[in-house]
Amino acid sequence: MTKKYDAIIIGAGVIGSPIAYELCKMGYKTLNVDKLPDAGEGSTAGSCAIVRAHYSTEDGVALAYEGFKYWLDWENYLDNVTDEKGLAKYMNTGSILIKSDGHDWRKVKKHYDAVGVKYEEWDLDTIKKHVPPIDLHKHWPVRRPEDPSFFDEPTEMLEGAIFCPEGGYVNDPALSAHNIMRAAEAKGGEFMFNAEVVDIRSENGRVKGITLKDGTQIDADIVVNVGGPHSFKINQMAEGVWEGCNIKTKSLRHEVMYCPSPEDYDYLNDGYHMSDGDIGCYVRPEVGNMFLIGSEDPECDPQEWVDPDQFYAGKGGPGRDNVLTDAQWKAQCYRLGKRIPSLKVPNQPKGVVDLYDCSDDWIPVYDKSDLPGFYMAIGTSGNQYKNAPVVGRMMAELIDACEKGLDHDKEPFHYEFKYTTRTLNVGFFSRKREINYDSSFSVNG
Amino acid sequence: MQIYVCVKHVPDSAANIHMIDNRNIDDSVPFLMNPYDEHAVTEAAALKKQIPDSEIIAVCLGKKDAESTLRSALAMGADRGVLVETDDMCDSMTTARVLHAAIIRDGGADIILTGKESIDSEGMQTQFRIGALFDFPVVTNAASLEITNGKARVGCELAGGRTRTYELTLPCVIGAGRGLNTPIYPTFPDVVKSRKKPIETVARSQLNVSDAPGSAKIISMTPLVQKRNPRKIIGTPAEQAAEIIRILRQEAKVLS
Repeated sequence: MTKKYDAIIIGAGVIGSPIAYELCKMGYKTLNVDKLPDAGEGSTAGSCAIVRAHYSTEDGVALAYEGFKYWLDWENYLDNVTDEKGLAKYMNTGSILIKSDGHDWRKVKKHYDAVGVKYEEWDLDTIKKHVPPIDLHKHWPVRRPEDPSFFDEPTEMLEGAIFCPEGGYVNDPALSAHNIMRAAEAKGGEFMFNAEVVDIRSENGRVKGITLKDGTQIDADIVVNVGGPHSFKINQMAEGVWEGCNIKTKSLRHEVMYCPSPEDYDYLNDGYHMSDGDIGCYVRPEVGNMFLIGSEDPECDPQEWVDPDQFYAGKGGPGRDNVLTDAQWKAQCYRLGKRIPSLKVPNQPKGVVDLYDCSDDWIPVYDKSDLPGFYMAIGTSGNQYKNAPVVGRMMAELIDACEKGLDHDKEPFHYEFKYTTRTLNVGFFSRKREINYDSSFSVNG
Repeated sequence: MQIYVCVKHVPDSAANIHMIDNRNIDDSVPFLMNPYDEHAVTEAAALKKQIPDSEIIAVCLGKKDAESTLRSALAMGADRGVLVETDDMCDSMTTARVLHAAIIRDGGADIILTGKESIDSEGMQTQFRIGALFDFPVVTNAASLEITNGKARVGCELAGGRTRTYELTLPCVIGAGRGLNTPIYPTFPDVVKSRKKPIETVARSQLNVSDAPGSAKIISMTPLVQKRNPRKIIGTPAEQAAEIIRILRQEAKVLS
């Protein structure tokens, strides 16, 4: 006998879990299926879990600022649920955005003003006072160490920075997804693990359910693709869905490095999240007094688009598998070494390699599809972790409105923020949109 | 003081190692300095601080790519590098003969530092063979080193957690162990400075090293495949802990 739910959510990461949680709160009977053994074990676990407001679009800034409020109110958001693994913790470090040619920071500032994000303008002395080991020479454009001019002596200085006191990171991204799973379960949601979806079934032009690798069929009138780096494969399983998307997704390999902080700098406790387009890096503190160094996707860096199944199986060869490369280790650590000259760079790379579920314009697709009943929250492009709880609510309301007859393609759903007084036209995230050239086309979104 | 440091270019221990035939691995994986050699280079840099007119020369036998390991040694404090280039995979006898010849060609050593072993072939012989070729005293797995009055006082770690202290006449050969120091890694300014330091490349054939009277060759290599049978341990935390102890005692037999 096939089992029946109101909604099946494919994926139990940090976006799939809150969609279930919010649908449950609205009375839907949900099931999340995930091919991995537990919530948040996929690309969520590899996320840097940074919470910051700077995006290149006003709607992007607004969504992030709204999302920030959820992290501040985590226990209440979870309705004080108990998780045997403990609760994830939001660490407020404040967020420094270096003014550089690598970031359209004037646009970010304009969006901050429009949305009401609190910020301060810092001159070089103020930056130095807050980050003692920093060197504020300008290094633009971003280069690779293979290029001899990478090592040229800088002569000019940076302009300054924009500092948001509200910003930081979540200390354990996988745990945060697990917390939301427990909250969803408390509202009746079910989760099934080690369950790989191999087919999306439809009947009479509407989604009918899913089929798992072991042949199990599960039915639901609603199926939501939150498959992370596997999202494009799941869309291809559903009749007409892939073809109906103007914005497509694919999986992009990304390396994040752990490099020890200089011994005389307590970066873990005194450090800030910093986004530095001048060197193409962002950083945040990590346990062990480490700098976690991410890349802001400078044009000179190669992009490795990979098959997610091959990648996670450790196949594809150096630079295409899930092992750090020496070349990228040196690129990211030496770039930060220009900014923090006392940073010591070990010979052996240490860090995380994972995948972005990257959309054509690095802005997500939060939408219905051309197959009635099939929805998608995909294309998160490495920049949506922070928005997960608010996206969960927004997707649940979008799904509910569409199921009650709204034609979201013709009359886009408007989502009212819960904390900040603002309304968001969810059509901004439409699969039918043209590529949004306001985007940074990077992890910055 | 002339300080020679022998360094080896080895596969990254975190790499996915694949065999391409029954004797060779796919060497497109990342390679870097043998971790024990990092202790040797760090100790050389510390000696130079103590004896400022010293020169540190890093010597490496390997393929052209091994130059990156020499660059790492220069960034960590070596003054110059010598790469003896070969495409052959050399055993410890040949490696020691080549390094011995390269050091003689370059000058005279007051002290030769190596790692206590390489993490790829794990021969643990090269330092002894170099010492024998020079007729220098050798100790290995060094955990402390002091140079005073022309002698080296070296504390070495032995099996079972014991240590033994030796006094060696100079010149001597010392195999660095993990206990010797914490490797001091380079900053970006160190890397920039090291780019100006010279690396001399010498073809192995230029050294006229005579063949060793014997040799060790790899006939075949097979990857170690560990069969894993994961299972879930359920129950209360106390029950889970008890089950883990039972497995460690009765199945893994690592606890008595």
